[in-house]
Amino acid sequence: MVLDPAHGGTDPGARGTEGISESDEVLQFAFATKRALEAQGFQVILTREGNDDPSFDDRSARANAQRGAVFITMHIASTGLTGTARVYVEPDAPATKNIAGLIPWDRAQAPFLSLSRKLGDLVQQELSKRFKGSPDTLQTAPVRQLRTTAAPAIAVEISSVVVKERVELDRMVPGVAEAIARGLVEFRPTYVVPSNSAPGGSVQP
Amino acid sequence: MNQKWTMWLGGVLLAAVIAAALYFPALRRQVNKAKDLTEKTAEQARRELLPVAPVSTGDPMVKVNMFWGSRGQEGELVPVVVELPLARDPVLRAKQVLNTLLAGPVDAESRTLPPDAALLAFYILPDGTGIADFSDEIRTSIPSGIQSEQLAVESILRTLEANVPQVLRLKILIHGQEADTLAGHVDLTQLFRVNAKDAAGTQLDNPSPPGSKLPAPIRRAVDTVRRATKR
Repeated sequence: MVLDPAHGGTDPGARGTEGISESDEVLQFAFATKRALEAQGFQVILTREGNDDPSFDDRSARANAQRGAVFITMHIASTGLTGTARVYVEPDAPATKNIAGLIPWDRAQAPFLSLSRKLGDLVQQELSKRFKGSPDTLQTAPVRQLRTTAAPAIAVEISSVVVKERVELDRMVPGVAEAIARGLVEFRPTYVVPSNSAPGGSVQP
Repeated sequence: MNQKWTMWLGGVLLAAVIAAALYFPALRRQVNKAKDLTEKTAEQARRELLPVAPVSTGDPMVKVNMFWGSRGQEGELVPVVVELPLARDPVLRAKQVLNTLLAGPVDAESRTLPPDAALLAFYILPDGTGIADFSDEIRTSIPSGIQSEQLAVESILRTLEANVPQVLRLKILIHGQEADTLAGHVDLTQLFRVNAKDAAGTQLDNPSPPGSKLPAPIRRAVDTVRRATKR
């Protein structure tokens, strides 16, 4: 499991009330999710654990270097109904050419789209059970971080950094962590690495 | 006598304080107004030098669909009918509808693009690829998040689709440059499909890191935009 707390370093992401910044707050969500996943027996890597800002490609590389990884990038928006969470996957992409077992880095997500959708559906269902007002189904959006990731990959976006009190956001942490862990537990038996995907480390730059 | 003087002085001071309190908001408004006028950014100054989409007063008023955010359904777009003297030329038409989209709806909460963002240039290549160049504010003033950035891009695409059928796909530039993302989330390296007639599946067909791998006609157009914005 590769968990990606978005932004960091000089990029604070969304800024909200009470000095809340997305880059700081999303780390709390990522740490809690890591603990929930480890409790279910997953091995978990974070793309950052402090206030640094790896590039999109560096973050993707953490998943692309391993066979059988799952990637979740975590965000907190500055818009949206407070107390809700949405899952995004990449839109449909044209078929990729698989020459000598390699897939282009820029289209690394393409062979994994159906798995990403399956994972996204499961996590969104869990989130909508816990957070009233969240959509029942996943959304599609061309999220830059997902495109170069050669693994089932979803973006989870929480609303929002604009809250009356920080505690409203903190209250969501255990529910988000639990929803992601439950979704992953359900997804695990169905995850077979696609035959048209590159083996670990063979994503063409 | 002393007491009378003290009361009189106190009264004058109280009157002065009340007058100052009443005058202060007006003074602050005037100062802010003067500040706005003097602190004109380089971006604004450059925008004024660039030709804006002419209002084709000779053209008949046409009802067009603009796609702004829905108030009732979060994250959704709704068509709003607006009357415009729409030009026949597709480039002028695209500029008109995008400038109207930027100007925003009557209800500010339904806005999808930042009010201070501007369309700097618009081109249509012979193969139907549109190139829209926006000012920096489209990335610096937009609310951060996947949902808000997706809504911004979708509102541009749907508005062009509804009103400028000649544009089949769209490349979005920021200040004459290719950008990795709009504001950290939505991928701008790709060509966005605008029109269903563009069956080639261009969305994600040409993702490219900024500065490389663009098809030659788009590369030439991007260079043209860059040269124009450097002037």
